Amino acid sequence: MLLNGFLKKWFLKGNSKEAAKKRLQFALVYDRLEVSDDVLQEMQKEIVEVISRYFVIDTDQLKLDITRDNDLSALIFNTPIISAKTRAPMTS
Amino acid sequence: MQGRIIVISSGKGGVGKTTATASIGAALALAGKKVVVVDMDIGLRNLDVVMGLENRIVFNIVDVIRNKCKLQQATIKSRRIDNLYLIPASQSDNKDAITPQDMVRVSKKLRAEFDFILMDCPAGIERGFENAIAAADEAVVVCTPEISAVRDADRVIGLLYAKEITSRLLINRIVPIMVERGDMLSHQDVVDVLSIDLVGLVQADEDVVVSTNTGIPLVMQENSKAGQAFTRIAMRLNGHPDLPIEVPRAPKSLWGRIASKIGFGK
Ligand SMILES: Nc1ncnc2c1ncn2[C@@H]1O[C@H](COP(=O)(O)OP(=O)(O)OP(=O)(O)O)[C@@H](O)[C@H]1O
Ligand SMILES: [Mg+2]
Repeated sequence: MLLNGFLKKWFLKGNSKEAAKKRLQFALVYDRLEVSDDVLQEMQKEIVEVISRYFVIDTDQLKLDITRDNDLSALIFNTPIISAKTRAPMTS
Repeated sequence: MQGRIIVISSGKGGVGKTTATASIGAALALAGKKVVVVDMDIGLRNLDVVMGLENRIVFNIVDVIRNKCKLQQATIKSRRIDNLYLIPASQSDNKDAITPQDMVRVSKKLRAEFDFILMDCPAGIERGFENAIAAADEAVVVCTPEISAVRDADRVIGLLYAKEITSRLLINRIVPIMVERGDMLSHQDVVDVLSIDLVGLVQADEDVVVSTNTGIPLVMQENSKAGQAFTRIAMRLNGHPDLPIEVPRAPKSLWGRIASKIGFGK
């Protein structure tokens, strides 16, 4: 069995499917995240609304990104905070 | 009678939609159901030749929709299997010749006439796809164990889901010896990434080509592995959803056979 596995590793092709599976999983994460521009804009607007309740932010410099490294996909919302708002109870 | 409409789809071209439609249709009819297969690949018809009915075509689905003929006139009876019918695509029009609303209208009549209506979808996700899925109750999504085909299947499953159509997966052209060696995605790998129910596994089989050459249905070729797999898929669609999925295996080498006889190996 040991020899068998050893020989297989060295003398036969094999295991290119592991690469295929990994690549496929990555591709699908991106594909599935692909949302229309309208949706992204809408989401950005809502995130800004929520954050603005607590912080004063520089809305000109905010950035929304989808990144991927190794096993993780992340939605990154980047914004400079100018100052925190005083924590008075919200009334709307 | 209220027939079920099943669309056979894939996104990617050439993965076996037409082969699957013809074979599952034939198997359902052999099981006693009244079946019509509809070629929705307007402009690139193929289902007629795969079924050996190409020289019987007078009218087609576009003629039906344009009221140039009655539904019955465009419905061709199989020569070999009772209860099996084909509505061919038009070869001279393009996909815009019909609309999803047209399909919903025609499908009402089809449901009243047949137990099963199988729609052979064209490749792609444009108008032809929309027409083919317009009236579907459920979907069989076909892919091969390759990155591009699986990825396209994922997209199509998503689009079908958005239309509230549930998909089941058919993996076609599996080469068992490559799977065993680790050079082809296994069905389990594909199911892992797509997280969807399987309806069946079909291996690459020379008999598919022979069947297309002769027009004799694959499911009538007794020793065809692919034919047997399609017959089991038809059974799963026809009231036996729990029929176990058989995984295609590579034929064992002489030494492998001897080893398993005397109790070594698996
Ligand atoms: N299990 C199989 N084994 C061997 N050959 C196969 C198998 N399934 C399909 N084929 C072959 O692959 C080719 C494509 O099959 P088919 O026409 O059914 O695909 P399709 O998805 O309908 O293509 P299109 O997107 O062009 O409509 C054909 O030549 C067919 O004979
Ligand atoms: Mg086809």
